[in-house]
Amino acid sequence: MDVLNAFLNLIPVTFAQSLMYSFVVLGIMIPFRLLSFPDLTSEGAFPLGGCVCAALILAGWNPFLATAVAVVAGVLAGMSTALIHLQFRLNSLLAGILVFTALYSVNMRVMGRSNVALFSADSVFLQVSPAILGSVPLQIAFFAVLVAATLLGLRWYLATEAGAALRVTGINPELTPSLGISLWTYTLIGLGLANGLSAFGGALVVQLQGFADIGMGMGLLINGLASLVIGETVVGRNTVTRQLLAPVVGAAIYYQFVSLGLSLGLQPSDLKIVTAIFVLVTLGLPALRRKGGSTGREKLHA
Amino acid sequence: MSGALLSVKGLRKTFDGGLPGARPALDGVDLELAPGDFAVVIGSNGAGKSTLLNSIAGAFGPDAGTITLAGRDITRLPGHQRAGLITRVFQDPMIGTAAAMTIEENLALAERRGQSRRLRLALDRTRRETYRDRLRPLALGLEDRLTTPVALLSGGQRQALSLIMAVMSQPKLLLLDEHTAALDPRTADLVMQATLQVVRDHGLTALMVTHNMRQAIETGNRLVMMDAGRIRLDIGGAEKSALTANDLIEKFRIDNDRMLLGA
Repeated sequence: MDVLNAFLNLIPVTFAQSLMYSFVVLGIMIPFRLLSFPDLTSEGAFPLGGCVCAALILAGWNPFLATAVAVVAGVLAGMSTALIHLQFRLNSLLAGILVFTALYSVNMRVMGRSNVALFSADSVFLQVSPAILGSVPLQIAFFAVLVAATLLGLRWYLATEAGAALRVTGINPELTPSLGISLWTYTLIGLGLANGLSAFGGALVVQLQGFADIGMGMGLLINGLASLVIGETVVGRNTVTRQLLAPVVGAAIYYQFVSLGLSLGLQPSDLKIVTAIFVLVTLGLPALRRKGGSTGREKLHA
Repeated sequence: MSGALLSVKGLRKTFDGGLPGARPALDGVDLELAPGDFAVVIGSNGAGKSTLLNSIAGAFGPDAGTITLAGRDITRLPGHQRAGLITRVFQDPMIGTAAAMTIEENLALAERRGQSRRLRLALDRTRRETYRDRLRPLALGLEDRLTTPVALLSGGQRQALSLIMAVMSQPKLLLLDEHTAALDPRTADLVMQATLQVVRDHGLTALMVTHNMRQAIETGNRLVMMDAGRIRLDIGGAEKSALTANDLIEKFRIDNDRMLLGA
């Protein structure tokens, strides 16, 4: 019963946390699903957003400005991955690994050490209302508004002429040149947008928890993929709206599972293998069912 | 001829990095199309038909030669920047449309070809009305299925849609790359009739590659025969109209023989 109580008490906190992480899951969904570009950059863009934001706030910057700069840093990280892939024709996964590896050094330089505390420093939450930091319902309301605004913005963008062009680069790259659409332009825009969102998530997390850590991105991508897969199972992905809702719904469910696992006594470090096995099973099962089906690469693109 | 719409001069292209002994796919092709021409290109596999079409569309740069369209040298213009001038219908119905998008979304994408993609909603009531008007002449009922994903359409329906998409943006030149070859004969006929109609309605200049001899004889005002990367025969006007299947086969054979003797 104690276990159950511990879990039940944590549900609101975990929900607030999952809303923050849904920005990262959106940042993973956009390349994987909309662009058919398996992108690992978020593993580095998330801590980059956190570290840049923390360093700037400690340097006395306005938290909103610090968050904005963190987002810009994430956009640039995503565009670097896109450029490496487009210019040097490197596999997209390798391009992402190169960028997030390089970002580790950048993050260390930005912060000056491997972790910094922000406990008494300013934050966007303090700026909006000091009550937010002490109230989980207010946190949920605050993040819910942010997430809803982001989803509406993305939904609108994808319905525009430019957004339709971005989608077609993922759906049928062979067709894009004959539609007069530059693959370069929209790969840059898409990966920039996606990793800007991941960095935004990093900046929020750092300001809420009051510290930034160089290792805060580790395993994030697998958490995000697990969330995405769960969300797509629940809400589907056959319309743009569902595809956009899936990351948010998936993150909400996934982080409750994580919380349940921790309540049951799982070590945080054990969670990684549990999540990895979960992602493997969910992505692998369909292939096992229809024997000799598609390859893993197709899985990521499916 | 200075009034040419399309002028291809001395076009050469060798694949495999031009290694010694590599056979050129295009070995000095000269071709001029006057405005309103409908030229049909035939030739055996490997004759260079597709390479010619791909060069004109800008899929790759030629090794030598120039391509001029409406007085503008487009030889080095990237493919996506030619799309406003030159559109194409592919042989594979899967390539010519975006399967996961709806019919109206596909048409909206095609409509902005050659123009900037703005941050404005891609679809609205007037556009949908336009799209219905464009689809109605096909008589396939597509005008009532604007929100259907293209993935649910048959190959023939997709090719018909692809054709309407290709003429959405008033191109100067329409390229048809064996666009009925993957269809059953009845559907192929239907798509061919639709093609002739849109070419007529829009007063387009067209270049069509085909393997179908009957199509080659019945369609267009020019017949171009390619072999081993060169144009072997280019007939038009009355000579083309009088052409029969037997003439064509005869010319084909003579040509092949000449090539064999010359080799």
